[in-house]
Amino acid sequence: MSNVLLEVRELTTKYVTRFREDVYAVDHVSLKVEEGKTLGIAGESGCGKSTLALSLMGYYFPPLHYISGDILINGKNISKMKPDDIRKSVLGNEIAYIPQAAMNALNPTRRIIHFIEDVMQAHELYITKKDIYNRARELFETLGLPEEVLHKYPVELSGGMKQRTVIAVSVLLLPKVLIADEPSSALDVTSQKMVIKMLRQLMEKGLISSLIFITHELPLLYNVTDDIMVMYAGQIVEKASSKDAVFDPLHPYAKGLMGSIIVPESGLRDVKLTAIPGVPPNLKNPPAGCRFAERCKYVRPDCRTSSVHLRDVNDTRTYRCILPENELRDIYAKEVAQNG
Amino acid sequence: MKQIIQQIFRSGKFIVGFSIFTTILLVVIVYPLLIPDPPLNIIGQGTFFEPGIYVSVFDSISSPQYTLNLDEAAAKRIASKLGEEDRLAIKEWLIASGIPEGEIEIENTEKLLDQWFENYDPAKNIPGMTNAKRNYFIRLNKAITGLLSDEGMSITVKNAETGVLEEKGTIVPSAYVNVNEVPNVRVLPLGTDNFGRDVLTELVAATRVSLQIGFVAGIIATLIGLTLGLLSGYVGGVVDDVIMFITNLFIVIPSFVLLILISFSIGQDQRGAFTIAMVIGFTSWVWTARAVRSQVISLRNRDHVNLSKLSGHSVVHIILTDILPYIASYVVMALILQISSGILAEAGLSILGLGPRTTEVPTLGLMMNWAMIYQAHILGKWWAYFPVIITIALITFSMNLMNTGLDQVFNPALRD
Amino acid sequence: MAVDYIYVEVILRAYRKYFLNKFLWFLVTLVSAFLLNFILPRLMPGDPVAAIVSRLAQGMSNTSGIQAIYEQYTELFGTNKPLLEQFVIYVKNVVQGDFGFSFSQYPRTVADVIKSSIWWTIALQFPAIIVGWLIGNSLGALAAYLRGSFDKVFMPISIFASNLPAFGMAVILMVVFAVTLKWFPTSGGYGFDLIPNFSWKFIWSVIVHYQLPFWSIVLITIGGQAIGMRSMSIYELNADYVKYSRFMGIKDRKIVSYVFRNAMLPQITGLALSIGTMVGGALVAEIIFSYPGLGSTILTAVLGQDYPLISAATLIITIMVLSANFLIEIVYGFLDPRIKAVQAD
Repeated sequence: MSNVLLEVRELTTKYVTRFREDVYAVDHVSLKVEEGKTLGIAGESGCGKSTLALSLMGYYFPPLHYISGDILINGKNISKMKPDDIRKSVLGNEIAYIPQAAMNALNPTRRIIHFIEDVMQAHELYITKKDIYNRARELFETLGLPEEVLHKYPVELSGGMKQRTVIAVSVLLLPKVLIADEPSSALDVTSQKMVIKMLRQLMEKGLISSLIFITHELPLLYNVTDDIMVMYAGQIVEKASSKDAVFDPLHPYAKGLMGSIIVPESGLRDVKLTAIPGVPPNLKNPPAGCRFAERCKYVRPDCRTSSVHLRDVNDTRTYRCILPENELRDIYAKEVAQNG
Repeated sequence: MKQIIQQIFRSGKFIVGFSIFTTILLVVIVYPLLIPDPPLNIIGQGTFFEPGIYVSVFDSISSPQYTLNLDEAAAKRIASKLGEEDRLAIKEWLIASGIPEGEIEIENTEKLLDQWFENYDPAKNIPGMTNAKRNYFIRLNKAITGLLSDEGMSITVKNAETGVLEEKGTIVPSAYVNVNEVPNVRVLPLGTDNFGRDVLTELVAATRVSLQIGFVAGIIATLIGLTLGLLSGYVGGVVDDVIMFITNLFIVIPSFVLLILISFSIGQDQRGAFTIAMVIGFTSWVWTARAVRSQVISLRNRDHVNLSKLSGHSVVHIILTDILPYIASYVVMALILQISSGILAEAGLSILGLGPRTTEVPTLGLMMNWAMIYQAHILGKWWAYFPVIITIALITFSMNLMNTGLDQVFNPALRD
Repeated sequence: MAVDYIYVEVILRAYRKYFLNKFLWFLVTLVSAFLLNFILPRLMPGDPVAAIVSRLAQGMSNTSGIQAIYEQYTELFGTNKPLLEQFVIYVKNVVQGDFGFSFSQYPRTVADVIKSSIWWTIALQFPAIIVGWLIGNSLGALAAYLRGSFDKVFMPISIFASNLPAFGMAVILMVVFAVTLKWFPTSGGYGFDLIPNFSWKFIWSVIVHYQLPFWSIVLITIGGQAIGMRSMSIYELNADYVKYSRFMGIKDRKIVSYVFRNAMLPQITGLALSIGTMVGGALVAEIIFSYPGLGSTILTAVLGQDYPLISAATLIITIMVLSANFLIEIVYGFLDPRIKAVQAD
């Protein structure tokens, strides 16, 4: 068993809305990421996957608030640290983040190199501008980015270039874990491929040790990740190896999700397209029983009343349903038989 | 739709603004039903009567009289009659009579009068006192003694035949009338203005006219802005270039200057409230046009619009069903702003002397203009201008609050 | 080095393009202002010159004055000539500063009347608007950053203050500080018993008379600017780059400086666009204080049915606003790097 870089235990965070209502967008989530591995997080928009990404940083500001749980990076529990210590010694150094809208992630009125200076100086007080410049140039060279970019303003860069610049800046301080939140969703196909290639490069060149990749595009996840975690309504509903999660999902929601996506990969082509009807529950007042019950094809009366826990299938696989594995498989098999 | 309205009414700012505005509107509607006087009726002979309850003296005399024995009546009577000047004069006399200044309390009427009666002597001469001053003190003494006496005043009527005054009765200091039994009592909560008109009645009418001006100006401006914005944004090309050129031009050329020029050129005789409203409307559409255009441009290539185009719908149909509903919230917000800025524009014009002609209707701006011309602010006649300023501020404030509330509902990024 | 040199060249070219653009636009607006000033009165029912002449008969007692004005106007307007030629004559006159005689203040020329009032307006309004803009933006930024109770108290006050018309603020300040407290004089630009000169007494009198009009414009400007800056700052605080910068461990103080710089830029453009409206409001405030600027000049002109004076005063105000607008655009060009970037494409 290799070294666990990031371990999260029962993490719960909430949003406080304008009307002072609590929305528990991350509800008792536990996960582990090992060195050299990539974890994918999938789910519909609003399922809490982006909030989970923010929560993993351990650095909270309104409207997001920490409630309970632990985040351990390399065995060090950061959820008990002071915010300013986290800022100085964790953010960027241990764990870094690439936001969803990387297009707008750079201050439009600051040259890239000046922003890099701000980042470096926030962690190392006495570093000279020359050293910073050299380090930035080296990094850009390694990642195949032109040096001129350093002197430019974000508006002067193309979308793909901005994206790659943000990725480069994120790994400037050689973080162990990188969290990428839908880094490619706003890009054209070519730029998307570039970004994915670059993320792989980061791992290969040892700039980062593990990656958490969040997207709603499953084929992408299957290609990039080792494990996949499916979230629904702030909770984990299934966690499995990429192969199992995509080809053999157990949770009805995961199954529906895999079916709802247009899949170009050859092995997936015969999977039928079936969108999941309905909308996720309102997290201001989550339902008592299974949160997916309202949309589940296989719902039973108990689903709405009894609380539903994660069931472990084996060491690496778990899912959240009142039905045991064999019953679920029977149901799925019957359905396939009926549809021919 | 219902959900949107519910959401709007959850915004505190909108509710406050809406309540203030509705209250103003209600007053404007209900007040004339209760008090149907013409607003520009001159009732007061003289300028700037203070706010208060005006009781007919003539009617009071012939009203049933009641005797009330109240202890402080005499003191109050003197206190109200004894002006600042008289008190100072008394003080002057007392000092001249050798009373130390520290012992004289000018505001304490009772003590002051005691000292006065003790020390006043008409025969005494103060060095340096003029004859006029001496007579003044004699008169003052007489007045004070008169006020303190228990004797009543006689009411006399001239006999029509003989021309002789005949006593009809006396009024003693302890006689009272019940205000409810006096047939003519006029309450002037805000007094009268420089022409002697009831300020409150005038203010309500002026608010109504100003609101009408604001609405007409706002609707004209919004219609022009909406049309030009839609054309410019949806049609694009040369049309867009031309419209945007004109819009940008009128954004930098101050509309206030245009208003002055046009209003002056129209001439005093042609300037009714409606004309002013139209002029304001025609000079203030630019912001709406710009806002609508940028909204339309962002909508123009959305899927539902393209779908509608592919289905062969006409331009008018597309604009009405696929574009207008999406920009409706912006248009409403723009309209609200236009109305409030229209009211302000009228006020500014009127203060410059370019407001609507004066004989028929008051407007808030005209009331302000009259008050300024007659120097109400320098003379301390607050009731002639302060309620006007407050009314204008409340109208624009409430509309702006509603607008901010709407903005927060429709642009979640601005939410607190 | 070579790279740097080329880069500087590109920037210079971008700036040149931006400024040239702005300058051309300034010229276009200027010409349009002349055109509007010329054509609007002529579009209205009734010919302005005919109206002027008819007013002459009632208005003036000085017979030689009437004659002089009549001759002057026939020449000045060239009424019997075609419209285009009239416009040429008009522009020529204006460029030479010849606006004819003033009706209400004959035998003074319009140029003379304007000359004696324009500096009062410029010296009053532009400093007041700039000071109000600076204070308003600082307070708005503070409200956005601190939020909480400061925001809760400060915002309703500024919303209310910004909805007070400029003349309302002027009247309130005057009643409180001049009429009631008697700290400042109620009206005029200097003591009515003084003749303008460079003595200390006169300068002091000017300073004392300056205060109330100045602060009433400042206070009005503060409210609106503070509200704008607050919502701009809140908008920027929610921007993606703020979140990213935070997660890169950048200190809050640094991020705040990003936010305020970026929020201020649209406020500068906003100032350029709204300076016309502000000047309009401030002109009315001048009237309340009988300040000897262009506002009071317009009032006198309106009361005296002095067409040439109104026409000239409005033209001068427009030119002032357009120039201020142009200046702000130039300053903005230096402050926002995005301008260079867009122009360099």
